[in-house]
Amino acid sequence: MKTINAKELNLRDVNTAIKQQINGHRVIVTDAEHIHGVAAGLKVGDILIQGDSGDYLGMLADGVTIEVTRNAGKYAADNMTRGQLLIQGNAGFGAAQYCYGGTVVIYGGAEDFTGTMNKGATIIVAGDIGDEAATYMLDGQLIVVGNAGFNLANYLIRGAVYIGGEWKSLGHNTHHVPMTNDDESQLRSLFERYGIEADPSRFKKIIAASKKPFYN
Amino acid sequence: MSAIGTFCVSVNRQACLNSQMPGKCGTCAEVCPHGVYAFDSQSGQVHIQNYNTCVGCRICAEFCPTDAIRINPAESEYISRYPWTFGVIEEIHHKAQTGSYLLRGFGTQGPTPNFDMITVVPSQIASQPPRDKYREECDMELVIGEDTCEKPMRLKLPFVWPAMSFGALSKEAKMALAIGAAMTGIATNTGEGGMLPEEAYLSRGYEDDSFSFQRWQPGGYLVVQWSTGRWGVSADYVRGGDAVEVKIGQGAKPGMGGHLLGAKVGEEVARVRGIPVGSDALSPCRYYDVQTLDDMKHQVAMLRDVTDYQVPILFKLGPSRPYADVAACIEAGADAISIDGLVGGTGCSPDLVTQGVGIPTIACIPQAVQALKDYGVHRKVKLIALGGIRNGLDAFKALAMGADAVGFGSAAEVAMGCRVCYACHKGNCPYGITSHRPELRARLDPVETGQKLANFIHANAEEVKILTMLSGHNRIADLSTEDLRAMDFNTAALTGLKLAGYDRPLPFWDQWPQSSAGDGSGNGHGQVPNRPVTSEHHRG
Repeated sequence: MKTINAKELNLRDVNTAIKQQINGHRVIVTDAEHIHGVAAGLKVGDILIQGDSGDYLGMLADGVTIEVTRNAGKYAADNMTRGQLLIQGNAGFGAAQYCYGGTVVIYGGAEDFTGTMNKGATIIVAGDIGDEAATYMLDGQLIVVGNAGFNLANYLIRGAVYIGGEWKSLGHNTHHVPMTNDDESQLRSLFERYGIEADPSRFKKIIAASKKPFYN
Repeated sequence: MSAIGTFCVSVNRQACLNSQMPGKCGTCAEVCPHGVYAFDSQSGQVHIQNYNTCVGCRICAEFCPTDAIRINPAESEYISRYPWTFGVIEEIHHKAQTGSYLLRGFGTQGPTPNFDMITVVPSQIASQPPRDKYREECDMELVIGEDTCEKPMRLKLPFVWPAMSFGALSKEAKMALAIGAAMTGIATNTGEGGMLPEEAYLSRGYEDDSFSFQRWQPGGYLVVQWSTGRWGVSADYVRGGDAVEVKIGQGAKPGMGGHLLGAKVGEEVARVRGIPVGSDALSPCRYYDVQTLDDMKHQVAMLRDVTDYQVPILFKLGPSRPYADVAACIEAGADAISIDGLVGGTGCSPDLVTQGVGIPTIACIPQAVQALKDYGVHRKVKLIALGGIRNGLDAFKALAMGADAVGFGSAAEVAMGCRVCYACHKGNCPYGITSHRPELRARLDPVETGQKLANFIHANAEEVKILTMLSGHNRIADLSTEDLRAMDFNTAALTGLKLAGYDRPLPFWDQWPQSSAGDGSGNGHGQVPNRPVTSEHHRG
């Protein structure tokens, strides 16, 4: 296990150090809250960020596993294509936007614009989520254990939003449908895998009202 | 569309094959993008259904096997009926019937301020003597990112193909652009629709993905676009280019994201973009993951890190406040900045945005150059002028005004065979350039068309070389506004160029610029916004 103290380092130094030490090791990064773009674009490895992280954590991640022990800054897991990001605390504005794949688990709450233009990732928020979550989602799923703000799943195209609590308002092109047994078992296995205590039977499912939303 | 109602279609019935033998030919009805002709399947006869929808592209005349069609401009009627032209009336009828606005492709119609009223100043006895185009050398190479990257982009000529996405263009057209770039040593651009596997090797001059045989010399470069829709973007995509271009906006529709109508989203486009077949792909107008200029700086730093500090980062703007927009790009860490003026092209856009939004290219360049000079980076951070550049003469004028390179977007489509019918968005391009229908795409041979594009670039290079050398220079970078004069008041007022005859800039240009960049005071040019966009903003 290797530890990198990022206090005196810049983005290039930290990511270079991570790349050098990641082969076969778990890398621990400390004091990285001022660095934006830690572990960007990495394909393999296992990284633990101790404390808070800066913005753009794990952007373009393509297979790497990242865990943050406290809160993540803005735009965590932005444009992730594969891999996992686990945030033990809260996520900042716009977490998990533009993702093509992978899994993002936020054990705390998430702010506005989480999962915008999600194209295939699984995003789990154990707490509450802000406004405009899953805006223009094209595929994948957003699972919210708590409550959601305004305009949930605005202009949804494909994929599904599962929500355990209430929403303030639903966005355009959304349709509220009953949960199926498959949905419940899928959620149950995800909750078990990531150690989240929630009852899938009380969840609601939102899908796109029209599969081809043409705008004028 | 202002072109509507300004052309008369006439068919010589004695020459027309269909008139002689009904049912034998209906080519004009098949190729017309605007339904001017109709084929009656019962009688087999073709008749002119609605000649007023003609936009004067003359595709029918080109395809007619017996040369029976003539398209005559009817400008005098257009002028006498202005402002209630047929086009305006048709637009109002369309809105009244459908409740929707007009969409169209290609670019701006009608006169806008352009390079035409600028003249080139040759060398005579009072300046350094002209150089001999036929027997002397002229340095036209352009290096982007020389001081900042480990693998700078070394363009053989100061030209680029601007971003045109796979989706807007057909696969064959994208391949032809890549081959044209490889043959001339310039850069092609993926656009925002993801990267075609073919682009990666063709643009570098290789004939297949084994990268074993370089068929086209000297080999070009591939710019990958990082845009607001992030279609088909991954770490591998970003690392697959010789440069990354951050798209802020485009000249044809600044302030809006890319439009790709469902009619053009077939299986291959859907796969490359990662979206459902047949759904409209409307890119967001802004980056959801950039709220402030600081965020953009961090994103650029991240892109440099992901590409291992090897390749340049470019920005593309449809500048609205050219000085401040370019200043913001410099602050964000750009190695080159493309400014795409009002006349810039598009595969699909609301008519009123293409027509009525943006700053003319000639008015963008001087402000952009001033921003670069104020930051002390003119000729270091390269300026690429786009938007309505049609030939070597336009290119030279843009270069002399202070740009380091120019892009031929619409002109490249025309070089591929386009006749400007403004129907790129419909997906029925008779030349296979903006269509995904296999039978139309088969008309475009990528290698043959790549050669045409290369010819076009070489001809423009020669034109730029002639003008550079007759004005006494042997390096593109030595050109200056002293090599140009404005020929009318408007152009002198918009550009700050010396007015021919008066031989100095118009007096009010002495007042500009008033303040240096970055201090956020004075004339407002130096202000760089750093305001977050919130969910309240989103909901209005």
